[in-house]
Amino acid sequence: MRIRSFLLLLLALPVIYGVLIAVAELPPYGMPDNPVHNQVSERYISDALDDTGVLNMVTAIVLDYRAYDTMFETIVLFTATLAVVITLKTRKGEGER
Amino acid sequence: MKELFGKLIMNYPYFAAAILFMIGALTVLTRSDLLKKLIGINIMESAIFLIFVAGGNIRGGVAPLLSKANSGAVYVNPLPSALMLTGIVVSVSVTAFALALIVRLHRAYGTIDLQRIAELRSEVAMDDSNHHT
Repeated sequence: MRIRSFLLLLLALPVIYGVLIAVAELPPYGMPDNPVHNQVSERYISDALDDTGVLNMVTAIVLDYRAYDTMFETIVLFTATLAVVITLKTRKGEGER
Repeated sequence: MKELFGKLIMNYPYFAAAILFMIGALTVLTRSDLLKKLIGINIMESAIFLIFVAGGNIRGGVAPLLSKANSGAVYVNPLPSALMLTGIVVSVSVTAFALALIVRLHRAYGTIDLQRIAELRSEVAMDDSNHHT
């Protein structure tokens, strides 16, 4: 058992090292010139008020720019509720065990 | 090596997300209790939310709310936060359905331990094969 866990640790070490390298090579956290802050978010920040008239930019994106996404999101929620109800429903005679 | 640790400390939210993801994956793979597996999946989802929202952050930036007090300030990226709202809805739906399936399994087998369910199923299969021969 001890040999087995030692071998597993030996297998896990390269994976852990790879993850650490990947985290270290990501763009530095919190810098304004990271590739995430490209023209898309600049456009949202500069034009959200003129386009939608909303002061909160997250709300403007969720409910105006991506309104279809949010609309079909409600269908996801509805389907999940339906699936839960169908899964938990029992016929009258079936009863609990 | 020292350079690697410096970069890791600079990227500490991504590092925390990676550790959270590994904890969740280990929980899913090694626990046989179905509820614990579901908790592991939820921990992995939290790690993904964390890495997305942290990626959109700017040091010294303010929340993306337009107001007189924020004029001239640097706003953080509003797009990852908006996308993660969508992700949270999906995560809640998946969790609800998984919990319903666990309740159903508990009704059928009287336990939510995967090991125990496999034993019960193999006993039933053995009984069946004995019956036929």
